Amino acid sequence: MSPARTPRRRRKLAALAAGAGLLLAACQGSGTSASATSDSVNYALPADFTPNWILPIGTAAHLNTNNISIAAALWEPLIAYDGSTGTIAWNKADSVATAADFAADGRSVTITLGDRHWSDGQPVTSRDVEFWFNLIKADKANWAGYNPGQAPDNWTSFKVLSSTKFTITFDKSYNDQWMLANELSSITPLPQHAWDKTGASAAVSNADETAAGAVQVWNYLNSAATSISGYATNALWKTIDGPYSVASWSSAGKVVLSANAKYDGGEKANIKTVNLLPFTTTTAEENALRAGSVDYGYIDPTDMGQSSSFTNHGYSVKPWTGWAITYMPYNFDNPTMGAVFKQLYARQAVQESIDQTTLAKAVFNGTATAGYGPVPQSEESDFLSAVQKSNPYPFSTANAKALLTGHGWTEQGSVMVCTNVGSGANQCGAGVAAGTKFQMQVLSQSGSSVTDNLMSAVQSSLAETGIGFTIKTAPVNTVLSETPQCTATQSICGWQLSYFGTAGSWYFSAYPSGDSLFETGGGANFGNYSDPAVDALIKATTTSSSTEAMQAYSAALAKALPVIWLPEPDYQISVVKNGLSLVAQDSLANFHPAQWKWTN
Amino acid sequence: MTARYLIGRLLQAAAVILVVTVIVFGLLHALPGGPARGILGPHASAAQIAAFNQAQGLTKPLPVQYAYYLNTLLHGDLGTSYTLNEPVSQLIAQRLPKTLVLTVLSAIIGLAVALPLGMWQAVRRNKPTDYLITALSFIAYATPVYFLGIVLVLVFSQILPWFPSEAPQGDTVLQVLSDPAGLVLPVVAGAASMVAVFSRYMRGAVLENLGEDYVRTARAGGDRPRAILWRHVFRNSLTPVVAMLGYYVPVLFGGALVVEQLFNYPGMGLLFWSAAQSSDYPVLLGCVLVISVATVIGTLLADVVQRLIDPRVQAGDEA
Repeated sequence: MSPARTPRRRRKLAALAAGAGLLLAACQGSGTSASATSDSVNYALPADFTPNWILPIGTAAHLNTNNISIAAALWEPLIAYDGSTGTIAWNKADSVATAADFAADGRSVTITLGDRHWSDGQPVTSRDVEFWFNLIKADKANWAGYNPGQAPDNWTSFKVLSSTKFTITFDKSYNDQWMLANELSSITPLPQHAWDKTGASAAVSNADETAAGAVQVWNYLNSAATSISGYATNALWKTIDGPYSVASWSSAGKVVLSANAKYDGGEKANIKTVNLLPFTTTTAEENALRAGSVDYGYIDPTDMGQSSSFTNHGYSVKPWTGWAITYMPYNFDNPTMGAVFKQLYARQAVQESIDQTTLAKAVFNGTATAGYGPVPQSEESDFLSAVQKSNPYPFSTANAKALLTGHGWTEQGSVMVCTNVGSGANQCGAGVAAGTKFQMQVLSQSGSSVTDNLMSAVQSSLAETGIGFTIKTAPVNTVLSETPQCTATQSICGWQLSYFGTAGSWYFSAYPSGDSLFETGGGANFGNYSDPAVDALIKATTTSSSTEAMQAYSAALAKALPVIWLPEPDYQISVVKNGLSLVAQDSLANFHPAQWKWTN
Repeated sequence: MTARYLIGRLLQAAAVILVVTVIVFGLLHALPGGPARGILGPHASAAQIAAFNQAQGLTKPLPVQYAYYLNTLLHGDLGTSYTLNEPVSQLIAQRLPKTLVLTVLSAIIGLAVALPLGMWQAVRRNKPTDYLITALSFIAYATPVYFLGIVLVLVFSQILPWFPSEAPQGDTVLQVLSDPAGLVLPVVAGAASMVAVFSRYMRGAVLENLGEDYVRTARAGGDRPRAILWRHVFRNSLTPVVAMLGYYVPVLFGGALVVEQLFNYPGMGLLFWSAAQSSDYPVLLGCVLVISVATVIGTLLADVVQRLIDPRVQAGDEA
């Protein structure tokens, strides 16, 4: 090294060091900071979800619980059900209605509205509810909440009695609890005086009073709702009656809600600004939690072991249970295994091979509840039968094996094979061919290590019984697409079992009747399960006001095993900054920012 | 370089893009079941699924669907996302600049480090420092971007709270660039493998050139080693590196996907990934189209630059 080069190198090194120092200095304090003040809260939206719908009338493609929660903060529902009281019930504080009086014959309901006002000072009236009713009646096929035969098909008339009182008549007598919780709760009064127009330049009128006009209004509102960039600025979305308004809505997914100063309902916002933050992955969200930039977030169940790393940073870990069940539907029309699945003893053998208690503990780290039937078990409810609660088919691979060998199956290699064909008591059952192997394949949701572990554990325990179980994985949308209702002759009917329950397979409305799940021809009865006795029980749950109807349904399906019952995972493992009071986490999977407040 | 050559290459590029759209369109629509149930979710009724398929034109024969797609594409319409409620062109216009910021910065920094490093290694070939850097390059090359990103976040965001764990959250390029601290970790994660790959290429190319006759001649003529290295060897060694750079465009996009996921930066990579998860055909096709065009342009530019910096390439073609 020549003496002449040394100073130059030093100068270079000094310049580099100075540059690095400047960069580091610039970075100090540039990280995101916690919002833990009484004025704002940072809430983490689920990973890879972007809020994309403001209109409180969801179309099927935009039916997402987070969109619904945001809309409900802007336009309060007529009858709001949530878990804020500890159990799922009508929360009158965040409802526009104050009373719902059912006729003695159960064929109509008269609803009374509270003394409420829109943000522009106009009163909330029966006409605003009628406006919603007319739009839905005219364009029901595009409404996400529509199921043929149910609302609005079974609502025969809407009669305005006064500005705060109206009557809806039904096509027959209904269980009032079911009607309130599953149908009337879907109504949201809309500002007719601001929204009843057929185009941006059209004047407000009574266009909704004709079917054609209502369709035009529907199309206009839906069209306006496709412009996310206008959510914070379009005058349409400024006429609100909920506790919050939209301050900003970024196309990248960040939504800022601001307390509505004109709100006159029972659930006034405690926190002025709510920042709903989007995250690409749970890992990115957990990093933000560790950095303290999120007040109300979540962790992956597999990270429960690291919960102390969050509690040490001033957070509490609070599991959020869901009003849901989790299961694997059988395809009863599968050409190979459909006949086997139709045998109750075979389904019993499968169910008895699954140790839900151990799965909930070992696979889900204690963040799941064993579920043995069609009524959610993660929460106490009057709907749950003693039969379902006590698990009619306790785990026993020895029992399961005996069931199969007692019905004409012989273990060959490690898999049971039907060797005694026929429909006798000790035979394989009607339609099961000689030599049929008890070998099933599941198309399971990918992307979750918990689900992968669950499937592997199920595979192991089924193998002990002599039941083969192969696992194929795909993204959840593909699982749903590739496991449709089908008939045996269709090429699409090759699927045997389906799993889309990483976050719970089916979230119920407040009243957990199984009409679309297990009724013959039900829209979500993917495997085409059919039993006339069950159909009658399901019908009774919607028409009888007795809780015994739900319990009878719960007991029957716990025993009939229309699907493989699996542990019910928590909706979310929440991580909440100490001092942020939530009241309760709604098991209907909605969030209610007006219920949050800082306590210190 | 002739206009004829350029026109020929552009026509080739258009044909490649067309073939790519045919393949992707065919593969997507070959999926059993279609996207409706996946998009609408388990609660959707049969009527809603039918209405969705009708509205999206999914009930028409596949060639008709493709012809319709191509027609709308030629009119500049990439369709509307099934799930994100926005036109695909708008989504790409929002996300692509953000990804370009990340990838271009990663590429610039990656090359700025890799090229001198490769030259330095070549000059000090088979010495301990060369072995050390070679070993580090192999480690960097073999380290998945995801893992490297996690390590960077752990060390430089959580243990040493120097940089934020999230990339800039602004919607526009200006907003993104106004938060340089947020860009440090994602750019380093994106640049690391590039440094590893291109320093190896550069080292090899420089070594090859150092053995050429023109170097010996220059040395014999009394030129200083440093001048030979920078004036002659560097320029000639760039030819294979530039060619490689063109083909590296899809890799950069692939890397961006991982970086965007890890650093909470919704760009093109994440858009593509989410669309693949949700069978959002219009978005998938739009992303594939953009990546194809970028790759084709990348290789075309690489060819052009190669010809500019190395007249032998052009001479070879003309011969």
